[in-house]
Amino acid sequence: MIQRSQLDLRKFVAPEFICGHGALQLAGRYARNFGMKQVLLVTDPGVRAAGWAEAVGESLTEAGISFTIFDSISVNPRSRQVMSGKDVYLSEECNGVVAVGGGSPMDCAKGIGIAGSNLRDILTFEGVDRVPVPAPPLICIPTTAGSSADVSQFAIITDEERKRKIAIVSKALVPDISLLDPEPLTTMSRQLTVDTGMDTLSHAIEAYVSNASSPMTDVHALEAIRLIHSALPAVTEEPENLNLRFSTLLASLHAGLAFSNASIGAVHALAHSLGGAYDLAHGRCTALLLEHVISANYEAAPDRYDRIGAIIGPVQAERTPPAEGVAAFRKTLGITGPLAAVGVREDAIPALAEQAYTDPCMVTNPRKLTCEDIERIYEYAFRTS
Amino acid sequence: MRSELPDGRDALREKIIGLGETSLHKSYYPELQSRLAELERFRALLDQTYDAIFLIRAETGKLADVNASVRAYLGYSKKELLATSFADLFSPQQKAGFVELIRKKSDLPSECRQTCIASLMSRDEREIPMEITVRSVTFGGEQYVVAIARDITDRIRAERELKIKESALESSTNGILIADLTGAVMYANRSFAAMFGYGEEKAITGRNLEAFFADPTVGEKITGHLLDNHAIVQETIGLRNNGSPFHIQVSGSVVQNDAGQPLCIMLIAMDITGRFLTDQMKRETYAQLGKNIEQFAILGDHIRNPLQVIVGYAEMIDDPCAEKILEQSRRIDEIITELDRGWVESANVRQFLRKHGDDAEPECPPGGLSRTKRDCTDNHKTTGI
Ligand SMILES: [Fe+2]
Repeated sequence: MIQRSQLDLRKFVAPEFICGHGALQLAGRYARNFGMKQVLLVTDPGVRAAGWAEAVGESLTEAGISFTIFDSISVNPRSRQVMSGKDVYLSEECNGVVAVGGGSPMDCAKGIGIAGSNLRDILTFEGVDRVPVPAPPLICIPTTAGSSADVSQFAIITDEERKRKIAIVSKALVPDISLLDPEPLTTMSRQLTVDTGMDTLSHAIEAYVSNASSPMTDVHALEAIRLIHSALPAVTEEPENLNLRFSTLLASLHAGLAFSNASIGAVHALAHSLGGAYDLAHGRCTALLLEHVISANYEAAPDRYDRIGAIIGPVQAERTPPAEGVAAFRKTLGITGPLAAVGVREDAIPALAEQAYTDPCMVTNPRKLTCEDIERIYEYAFRTS
Repeated sequence: MRSELPDGRDALREKIIGLGETSLHKSYYPELQSRLAELERFRALLDQTYDAIFLIRAETGKLADVNASVRAYLGYSKKELLATSFADLFSPQQKAGFVELIRKKSDLPSECRQTCIASLMSRDEREIPMEITVRSVTFGGEQYVVAIARDITDRIRAERELKIKESALESSTNGILIADLTGAVMYANRSFAAMFGYGEEKAITGRNLEAFFADPTVGEKITGHLLDNHAIVQETIGLRNNGSPFHIQVSGSVVQNDAGQPLCIMLIAMDITGRFLTDQMKRETYAQLGKNIEQFAILGDHIRNPLQVIVGYAEMIDDPCAEKILEQSRRIDEIITELDRGWVESANVRQFLRKHGDDAEPECPPGGLSRTKRDCTDNHKTTGI
């Protein structure tokens, strides 16, 4: 059981953010306010094809700011992609970064910023508080409602040599401003919508049960669970509905504010290990692991999990075991396992568990899990459809 | 719960939730301060240089910044200078040229630099000759011209002094030759070329000293002597370009650097053919004079000896003619004695001649001449008869 006192020291860091329809068009104004003259516009080919990078570019041009587009970024951004982005940043003599896209371009943009200001390889920043020179000003415009990289202190980069994800955690990674516009979300595919939505739910649940949660983060975590639970199924029916899209965006914002300060737990530790080894979509990994981590953690924070169950359960009045409720919710969204079906091999589980055990997210998990506990979670996920 | 975590995890958790020593939100202020300190150090360095450095706005030609040397040279305050055009710091005749130079320079790429000589006008209307290098630079999208001016007052004075010395060497009526320590000629003046029958001085440069002496080993000997003794004066036989020999006097010295190491040798050659011929004529004349004096002495002896016999004989006979004979004999003796006295009186002249003939005559004069001199003196002493 987690023993908490409201007198425990807690800190709450949040970036400046603007949310609402048309927020994207403020990119130029803020870039100018931050003194940017030559911007590195970090995005990915999908977002570029959907026209959102171009829309942000227009806003920059209107503000009289030059920019260079860098879009050589894959899902699960690689350290080499970060370093080539840094080279472009330096060679084009940029003095600011604007990221447009989901978690991958935003994490990559954070990496480019610190690698550029410190002139060091991105892999050397692995760990917590290891960024001595602050990155240049960073403006984030999310085009998905899930990663919350636009408000978080995390950047997850894949070390392609060792096929693993590294976590860079630093308050210096929190962007300078986040422009939350629901419109770019309308071009997301159904699969991306539900995967990123389940990532939001994982962030909110993990922050709420984190051993570093606080009354400030609780408010945001619970609001995020409420919002995503109601909006996500609806938005799959009406992907063009700006109000529903905005609700998922708000859910992601609330979850981001909660987990960036309370941190997260075992779901993410296991998902980072899995995604690094198999190059799987992060949201899908968290969706398939969440219910099993809840079961493993439940006894460490039963009250909190029950409160989550009360929100997620099919009938609000009845208390539903949260793991079951989450599993049911996932299935209604059409996300199905098992891990075996997405190419994960059973004999890889001990190595995955060992990697997850050392992930910094594990230190705020409500229960201290052993490697065996982690292997068992992977094994459940390996079989559960 | 914090107490549940091992020490390493506890510290990591503190940092993740923002309570670590360096878990700080992004702030540019410390970095800004260190960059400012760096700039101040750089500024101090620039102020230490003797060169006057001007930063000029390309568009207006006005000064944007100057270092401390500018203020020291010109006597204006920085405030006054920043309200001034660069071209205004020159004399009215040069001003238009500088307006044009700045205008042209700003159109050229930064690697293109240009150097000119001009005089800056100080507040007290002194003209300071400067070598000025200008190049264009771009800072933050704005075009500037940087001018670096170096005071060349001392250089001009040194050049003028050098020119005078060069002219003196060149116009000397003595032949002057400078050779390196191996005897290779570095410089020969006009007189040297003329003396040795070369059309132009350049035809001599690079030749070895041996080419200028009838005995080719002399050059080497002179060089060797100079390296040991630093100075030499010697008469020898020179060799003209056409192969004809002539008498020269060579005086040489070694040119040394401040540390006393030999740099080169300098020879001064004088054509002494005229003096040599005069000396020869003098020697011949002195020899002839000596002979004449000897002959006079012998002549005197040849007259006086028979006269002694005649006088002796006349004194013994008692003859009225005897008195007449004696009288005539005394008259003859008086004439000879007068002649002797005339020579004695011209002793100073002869002494002078002899002295100047000494170096041409052997240390021990021929017996005849010596004897004649002694005899003359003896005769003079015996004139009382
Ligand atoms: Fe996540």
